[in-house]
Amino acid sequence: MFQFSTTSAMIILFAFYGLTFLLTLRIGRRQENADSYMVSSGSVGFSMSAASMTATWIWAASFYAAASSGYKYGLSGAIHYGLWGALMILFIYPFGRRFRKLAPDAHTLAEIMHARHGSASQLMLAGSNVVGSVISLMVNFTAAGALVDILSPLSFVQGVLIAGVGVLSYTFWSGFRSSVFTDFGQLIAMVVAAVIIIPIIFFKLGGPELFEVGMVNLTPEQASFYSPTAILEQGAPFFVAVLAYAIGNQTIAQRLFAVREDLIKPSFITATIGYGSIVIGLGMLGLLALLAGVEPINGDLNNLIPQMAATYLSPIMVVLLFVMIIGSLSSTADSDLSALSSIVMTDIYGKQISKNKPNPTTMVWVGRMTMVTATTLGVIFASLKLDILSMLIFVGALWGAIVFPVIASLYWSRVTNLAFTSSVIIAFLLFVVARFELLAMTGVVAVFFEILATIGAAVVIGLMSFGFFGRRAGLVIGALFGIFLSFYSIGFLRDYIVLLASLTAYGASAFVCTLLTITSKKPPFEFKTIDERVVEFHAEQPQTMENL
Amino acid sequence: MSTFWLTAYVLIWPLIASGVFLTLCVALIIDMRAAKKSGKSLV
Repeated sequence: MFQFSTTSAMIILFAFYGLTFLLTLRIGRRQENADSYMVSSGSVGFSMSAASMTATWIWAASFYAAASSGYKYGLSGAIHYGLWGALMILFIYPFGRRFRKLAPDAHTLAEIMHARHGSASQLMLAGSNVVGSVISLMVNFTAAGALVDILSPLSFVQGVLIAGVGVLSYTFWSGFRSSVFTDFGQLIAMVVAAVIIIPIIFFKLGGPELFEVGMVNLTPEQASFYSPTAILEQGAPFFVAVLAYAIGNQTIAQRLFAVREDLIKPSFITATIGYGSIVIGLGMLGLLALLAGVEPINGDLNNLIPQMAATYLSPIMVVLLFVMIIGSLSSTADSDLSALSSIVMTDIYGKQISKNKPNPTTMVWVGRMTMVTATTLGVIFASLKLDILSMLIFVGALWGAIVFPVIASLYWSRVTNLAFTSSVIIAFLLFVVARFELLAMTGVVAVFFEILATIGAAVVIGLMSFGFFGRRAGLVIGALFGIFLSFYSIGFLRDYIVLLASLTAYGASAFVCTLLTITSKKPPFEFKTIDERVVEFHAEQPQTMENL
Repeated sequence: MSTFWLTAYVLIWPLIASGVFLTLCVALIIDMRAAKKSGKSLV
């Protein structure tokens, strides 16, 4: 298989990170202010916002997993990865507009939750975000190490270190502004690579003739667009997981708070199309490999893309692919660093330590030190190849459990702090029971969880309908879907534990949150106080900023 | 499904990605001009 020499690999990596660093010098200010460091001006234009949203949502795993899905599930495989991931970007924007309307000056979603409910809900969101972002950093640095290890004589750890130092170097000084600014170039590299590489590999493998000779390599299910296995094992669990990720992850919220308010919709629609086309397109490489009878090296599906590139592309094209993957993982890693810094700056330093009276200069340095610490942790975890899959499962569960309470809290004035926290904790515990089968999934227990999961599925569809068509449509469509699904899910979902557990988190949190809310006798919440409370937090800043 | 439609199924994605690429590049030029005119940074 093709490999770069050590010198070539070093030149490519240093050129990539060096150019990115030089780009950020164009926007660097001698004295960055705290707000810009977290969400820029709050009026970022369409091009930068759409590109940044797309680049952040695409990480290295997007390529590997989409191709793996295409290889494993055949014709529909890439769709069951890329389409649902893309739709979640679209799903977020109606809610994003609501977040911006309630708190135009917010920096984090946890900050809004603090204004709505207090510290408990804020720390649940902020805590899960910190863990989630550190894991994401680790995964991206691991991808860099693996790529460098496969395509060059450099070692895995050297690849991890270069990526860690490279990303930190250009994000450290200007924070979120650097992240957004560099995302544009990184996305363009990804698009160009996808546009060139997919057709080249397709025609190298024989073009349309590949379908005539290669379809025999597909099982009947792989040859069907409506494969139930692909839906139940890939599409549905991924759909549920990315919905939680979209609401729970600060990298998405941060871009919602940064884009000019009237550009939220076009930016997110463009990001949806951009993400879908790039990720599904690269997922097609897995399908092509399956059609051509390619066996992944060492049986590891993550090797498919580098293997296809090294086998069928010229060295120049391999460089392009290399840059594309480094660009994708770097754009997500710099977003994670920016997200982590804004959470620590706002939710820990601003709210908990300085009690709403932060020193802006100290605040910016808190953000920078957070980046250094997070990069160090990401590099160490990646280098040690720690198995933190279980931690990722817990973070995903927590995010799944918060989706309904977060959205309900920002639309339904009667949702209380007790309803929020209790529903999240109960849903999380029930998820753990289902996911790790702490109770045998048989008989009454299985039916109990299947009912909760069916409610969860109805909640997911209901929330999506609510976002686009309003409350009545959300309630009706969600209820009808739940009733329809119950005829199939009871007695069936117990065989798909990952899906059952994920949906349980949604169903249980929605059920408990709704129950505690409608039985509460507390007066309705005044939504306009959210903006007042978030603004109050920033009130100290303009006075002190002038002294910078 | 015919070979033609399967080929289209594989190649439609880079085509759509090209459209996104053009949209973003044109939008960037417009944003840069607006930023220059107003004296503000792009980000």
